[in-house]
Amino acid sequence: MRRPRRLAALLALAAAMAGCDYVRLLRPKVLKQLNPRVVRMVDFLPEVDNPNEAIVARLFAHGGLSNARRGRDGVFRDRIRVPKDQYIWEPAIIVMERSGDLELEFANEDQSFHMAFLPANGEREVLELPQHTRGTARVRLDHPGLYWFGCPVANHAGRGMLGLILVKGETPPAARLDRPRQPRPRGRD
Amino acid sequence: MATRPSSAVRRAPTAPSPFIVAVLLVAACSRPFPQYPVAEHSVPFTALNARQVGAAPPVAQSVTGDRIARARAEPQNWLTYYGTYDGQRHSALDQINTGNVKSLRPAWAFQAGVIGLIANPATYSFEATPIVVDGVMYVSGWDGYVWALDAASGKVLWRYRHAIPLDVPMCCGNVNRGVAVAQGKVFFATQNGHLVALDAATGRPAWDEVFVDVRAGESATMAPLVVKNVVLVGSSGGEYGVRGHIDAFDLGTGRRVWRRYNVPKPGEPGAETWKGDSWQRGGGSAWVTGTYDPELDLVYWGTANPGPDFDGDVRPGDNLYTNSVLAFDPDDGSLKWHYQWTPHDVWDFDGVNENILFDQSGRKLLAHFDRNGYFFVLDRTSGKLVRATRFADRVTWGDIDSTTGEVTVRLTPTPQGAKICPSPSGAKEWPHAAYSPTTGWLYAPVVEKCGTYKLRRSEFREGMAYWGGEAAADHDPKEGWGYVRAMDPATGRQVWSHRTEHPMVGSVLTTAGGLVFAGEPTGEFDAFDARTGELLWQFQTGSGIHGSPITYSVNGKQYVAVPSGWGGWMKGFAPELYGATRGSALFAFALP
Repeated sequence: MRRPRRLAALLALAAAMAGCDYVRLLRPKVLKQLNPRVVRMVDFLPEVDNPNEAIVARLFAHGGLSNARRGRDGVFRDRIRVPKDQYIWEPAIIVMERSGDLELEFANEDQSFHMAFLPANGEREVLELPQHTRGTARVRLDHPGLYWFGCPVANHAGRGMLGLILVKGETPPAARLDRPRQPRPRGRD
Repeated sequence: MATRPSSAVRRAPTAPSPFIVAVLLVAACSRPFPQYPVAEHSVPFTALNARQVGAAPPVAQSVTGDRIARARAEPQNWLTYYGTYDGQRHSALDQINTGNVKSLRPAWAFQAGVIGLIANPATYSFEATPIVVDGVMYVSGWDGYVWALDAASGKVLWRYRHAIPLDVPMCCGNVNRGVAVAQGKVFFATQNGHLVALDAATGRPAWDEVFVDVRAGESATMAPLVVKNVVLVGSSGGEYGVRGHIDAFDLGTGRRVWRRYNVPKPGEPGAETWKGDSWQRGGGSAWVTGTYDPELDLVYWGTANPGPDFDGDVRPGDNLYTNSVLAFDPDDGSLKWHYQWTPHDVWDFDGVNENILFDQSGRKLLAHFDRNGYFFVLDRTSGKLVRATRFADRVTWGDIDSTTGEVTVRLTPTPQGAKICPSPSGAKEWPHAAYSPTTGWLYAPVVEKCGTYKLRRSEFREGMAYWGGEAAADHDPKEGWGYVRAMDPATGRQVWSHRTEHPMVGSVLTTAGGLVFAGEPTGEFDAFDARTGELLWQFQTGSGIHGSPITYSVNGKQYVAVPSGWGGWMKGFAPELYGATRGSALFAFALP
């Protein structure tokens, strides 16, 4: 009688863990990246990332990565929070599968005033984030590449509030060079 | 009232329910997004600049190719990159002259500054040539900036900034050399290779076309050239084994009209100058704006080094059409003639420097100061050499016969490193020479620098630098200097020369006031007597000058404007100034 209950419980646990990012770290693709220097960095992170212990700052991009979701209207959307007492964006890297419009919703859970200074064609967008408020920003990024965003208040950017928007995609066919396919770096050919 | 502990609670310390663990795990993995009140929506950064007007008068509406062809008749304006299509960089304005230039003083300064991270932050530089149309100045900067300024006060009318990714594969510096203006639009190329047409009155984009492939290592830095109904642009990226090209886009729609590659495919004319598949990575980009003769209807555009830069063994042959001037038809890009300054280049002597068009003794001529240290005069109807003479003190890579143009190579890069003159940025960097119709002389900014050239085989990977070795200019400041040098194209000889402490990498301007203006890498902006070379006036702008001065007038008052902001590929021409102060200002000078 206890056995089926235990089985159900284990299944529920497995299902819950499958939805958890921590379990996903155990994939071979991720473990393969763990060369000794990466392991050393991961071990070192808790020390660095406690403000006022090893240093006062947070490591760039500590807030992690998120894939922006593309809505039916073609606009990419994502949410970024500013956690309490950390001076980071969470997530700090936003991935767009391709170029286009990106709508970001911010929430400031911190005890400080922050701002988001965002890349956009035409002019950068600026968003004020008073304590315990939300705000939205919409930007257009029409080219693959890495774009930075940050908090321009005091030295919040230097202490960890720097983030990246990573736009994936290829150059339009008409702009490419007329020549046979060339080898790309690191076996990407 | 006392309660009896439940059995579930009693069991908890020894065996937590798996259900509870699962719930806790889910809770740990997903934290609800706070439902705070929405306080703000983002605003454009310019909305927080109360001093910015937001619009410019619609002066650019009436600028057409025809009007640019007659630009000499309206010296109050600087309508196109070189002032006029012929590339003379000469103005008929004479209010400021040899007699009163000593009273010249700043009328206003515009400062851009840098906010946040940019690509190539150590090497951004203010290399632009401003354009002036009826009192409005259009100027571009590094990292996607274009400003419309009031040319009399320096006040910002509007600002556009394209979002440039941090990872653009720029070879040398985060720079942009200027805009073109026509039919109510401002055209400029972004570092990541978009040709953007802005509404000249509002700064809002009208169209935007991609013309280079950043994945292949291409980028864009030059100012576009409007000719008739097209806007011409050339690619950058000669250090990445690209296949360089020049493209033409329709002014109104942005539709690409044609593209011409500067390195031929098998079967095309010139393909015999390449071996195997080396043409695919042959370089020959076109990163400096061309000149145009409306009467002959020919555009003259320079092409850059072959790829890889220093290793010629992998590309035996002359490597056409690299390091050449191409004379082509603006309607379809078809080549009429070419002249190759440095066949089979292994010194990175890009042949992109400007081709100045002038007439002398009834002949239609073209003058070109090449990086290889030679000053060429060609017949611009046929491309035939009139004369080639040295204009730099030290040229050791080889000799060019003055009348036949035959090249004899003396020194090439070696695995150990060979000292060769000039240094890889050449005896003249891209900053432009000028011609004065009054004196009939040309005035060139000269780089006196030698370098060490090393040969090393490179493995090609698309998007990665493909040098085939390495070259660096001498670091010793005593081993480098510069000149503003007046040359007579009738003889190929020097008329006068003003020596500067460091290599000259700022463009020259001549005026009907008998003056020659040029900026030094240490920030001095100089005015010389065009006849004697005497230094008449100097102003310290605070940062090195690596851009192009212009002159114009508003309401009868003449101004001379120069961008000041040190940077660029200093390793190639002045490594001793790598640590010099940077800047991002534009000065306009006038008489009191």
